Amino acid sequence: MKLQSLLLVGGALLTSTAASAGGYQVTLAGQKNNGMGGVGVGLSLDQAAMFYNPGALAMVRERGVQVGVNATFARSAFVAEGGSTQRELRNSVVTPFNLYASFGPAEGKFRAGIAVYTPFGSTLKYAEGWEGRTALTEIELQAVYVQPTFSYAITDQISVGAGLTVLAYGAVNLQRDVPLPDSFGHIELDGEAERKIGFNAGVFFKPSEKFSLGINYRSKIDAEVKGGDVTFTDIDPNSVLAARFPNTKFDATLPLIATTSIGIGIMPTEKLTIGLDVNYAEWSKYKTLEFTFADPINGSNTSVSKRNYEDALTFRLGGQYKITDGLTVRAGAAYDESPVRDGYVTPETPDANRVSGTIGASYAVGKFGVDFSTQFVSISKRSQTQSQLVANGTQDRVAGTYKTNIVIPGIGLNYSF
Amino acid sequence: MASKLFTKSAPFLAFLGLALTGCQPDLEQDIKPSSGTADFSRYISVGNSLTAGYADGGLYLEGQLNSYPNLLAQQFRSVGGGEFVQPLFTEAQRNGTGYLRLAGFTATGSPITATVTTELALRAGATAARPLYTKFTEPVNNLGVPGIRMSDILTAGYGSVQGNPLFERITPDAQPTQTYLARVTASNPTFFSAWMGNNDVLGYATSGGASTAPTSIITSTATFTANNNQLIDALTANGAKGIVATIPDVTNIPFFTTVGPSFKATLLTPQPGLPNGVPGLVIQTGSAPGGATSTNRRQILTADIRDASGVGRQLFTLTSSPFLGLLNQRTGRAWRYIYGQSGQPAAGFPIFLTTYGIDTLQTFGTSAGNPIPSAFVLDDVEQTAVRTATTAFNNAMIAKATAKNLAVFDVNGFFARVASGGIVTNGVNNTAQFITGNLFSLDGVHLTPRGYSIVANEMIRIINQQYGASVPTLNANDYPGVKFP
Repeated sequence: MKLQSLLLVGGALLTSTAASAGGYQVTLAGQKNNGMGGVGVGLSLDQAAMFYNPGALAMVRERGVQVGVNATFARSAFVAEGGSTQRELRNSVVTPFNLYASFGPAEGKFRAGIAVYTPFGSTLKYAEGWEGRTALTEIELQAVYVQPTFSYAITDQISVGAGLTVLAYGAVNLQRDVPLPDSFGHIELDGEAERKIGFNAGVFFKPSEKFSLGINYRSKIDAEVKGGDVTFTDIDPNSVLAARFPNTKFDATLPLIATTSIGIGIMPTEKLTIGLDVNYAEWSKYKTLEFTFADPINGSNTSVSKRNYEDALTFRLGGQYKITDGLTVRAGAAYDESPVRDGYVTPETPDANRVSGTIGASYAVGKFGVDFSTQFVSISKRSQTQSQLVANGTQDRVAGTYKTNIVIPGIGLNYSF
Repeated sequence: MASKLFTKSAPFLAFLGLALTGCQPDLEQDIKPSSGTADFSRYISVGNSLTAGYADGGLYLEGQLNSYPNLLAQQFRSVGGGEFVQPLFTEAQRNGTGYLRLAGFTATGSPITATVTTELALRAGATAARPLYTKFTEPVNNLGVPGIRMSDILTAGYGSVQGNPLFERITPDAQPTQTYLARVTASNPTFFSAWMGNNDVLGYATSGGASTAPTSIITSTATFTANNNQLIDALTANGAKGIVATIPDVTNIPFFTTVGPSFKATLLTPQPGLPNGVPGLVIQTGSAPGGATSTNRRQILTADIRDASGVGRQLFTLTSSPFLGLLNQRTGRAWRYIYGQSGQPAAGFPIFLTTYGIDTLQTFGTSAGNPIPSAFVLDDVEQTAVRTATTAFNNAMIAKATAKNLAVFDVNGFFARVASGGIVTNGVNNTAQFITGNLFSLDGVHLTPRGYSIVANEMIRIINQQYGASVPTLNANDYPGVKFP
């Protein structure tokens, strides 16, 4: 398979999901890692190291290309405070993807590569007429990073690496209903983010055959939408209210936050690899979601909604066992702290602490390999009350109880050369 | 390769399908509606226009369907509530008594209303002065009667053709003089809501304290207390549980808070010869006859008119709105309107003017000879009378309800909170603002479907607390505010 056609496959899959980490972060960057609870910072498994720790790339001996795609099946339930009707998501399947290619001399000390992945995203569609309709009816948030990467092995034991993270594609489509005195209108905010650059850097240290250690930092990028489209529908143009809701333009900024991760790898035998990661996500940068409108909407040029996220940790544990030369099996688990404080839960990220279990397998024939993984994510049941919302000044969202489960199967293909 | 991959992954995908069907979380198992210690099998509501579903200055089918008792009954059904019959107007007569609708806005943004006069429920023999409505003689659960006062519940013949036509409408033909209390006694509820007493002070307030008509004087606390005690005793005679709602301080409702702020701003606008605007007004107060030098004239400072931020005391009624633009003109239009409201023959108008010492050749609102009519202003003295009565009535109702271990809805406290900060329902803000606030209908006194649904939710919350029940609440946003053209 040529790199060119691989890129086209990737291009058809430009979408992502609120799937596998707190907030709108997505950590589905490599099929092998997915099967191992998402560990990877302290390991040098394959080209996906470009995402998990560019410092480890120089230690990945095989050069090659790999492509992976996941499908997220999210099932959510919501019951409004005091209500008795369960609302469910209109089920949609989204497919975060990744693509890696690495090059370098067979015996040389460096590796160069290019990575394409989706580190942030969210796609949710709520049931018609649900209680939170004026907060959100559906959202599609997408961010695709392209990361040219270079990694260098200073010694046999220590390597470093860095990449430029280019926000190559970022898009937001956010829709909600507008409360009119006697009915509901509908607003759609649709915009594409400007291209922006950040970086991803890491150090990898492998003092022995049985132990490795890594640290990785991926910087923040502010996804800025300028001149996005605001479109109103379901407002009778003959109504005296119509003039208050003009189709106009909006500006908005969403922080694609920085993460710091450390990980260790333990290789008790040649066949067994165990990884342990801790991620620290700087969600506290996400204070408000603010839209600025070119023309006043219902008398106001801005819409400000409090987020007030807090930094959050994720703990991951996973391992793989090589049964035969061709077959490797994996399992793992993760615990993911929610960055969303009590009384700040919004329908766009109906977030709570998450527990994940993962399984995976790889089969390799010569230079070809195929990887499977499946994650089962349970987002804890979480309630917020109207009095909490009143106390926080966050009454633009809805009081009630959320619970979400997600199943994320994935498949990856790789070719080494 | 591809087909081989498929055959290998097919069982895997089938397994996933199984996993996915089990993946949908189910929160409904957490919610178990329950009636607690209450029995909702026969729910009876007693009260006045608010209970009947009156809105926009009239009783009509849509308002009836959105009455808070009907909404409550709908929610009670999930916890053993029975059938709830309302004296609904038919579809062919859906506009009932007629009502106000919003027709548009003037260039300056003032609402224009129009009266709906088609598909009324008038029956043969009705006249404009004595309307009679198509009867509904089935037994009803909603005993809300627009206009009824606590002081009326023992009045024999209150529902006769000489009495309240909306009680007459539901009074059995065989018992034309049956009192409201007798009707309540016969209703035999297992659960009830009682929201009575608003009109014992509201009529006085909305008439600006200007009328001596029986419906416009404040009921004595002694009468109110005695009648309330009888009403609650009748409702609880067979051990029924229920909720008692108190009455709000009406000075927070749009009928009194809408006109003053913009009028004040107009008065303060500089004019030729008046760089600081109009400093003050002359109003008439009370109902007693008397001329320009009598105690029924008062000077009101412009600064003392209550504005949107609550500064000032004097309140102007919604009915004053069309006439305040005539300020400083030599006109008798306001007085002709006031006199017209009395229903007296037109020939009596000059005598009326003489009795009250009105000289329509003097400037309207700024001279003692042509003051702003008492009916347009609820002044600070009158407000004190309203508040004193409201407090006394509420104390009587709370004392009786507490003695009977009933749930109490502190309507006064609730609407005071709504008036000061609004109430957000599932992300939508609702305030006491006229028309745009979603809660009050076009008459500025009664609620919209949204307002009634919020009242129903508040009652459910209190019922749940008192009786250990878990009756589900409504999504208030499913119910509209004022209809826009």
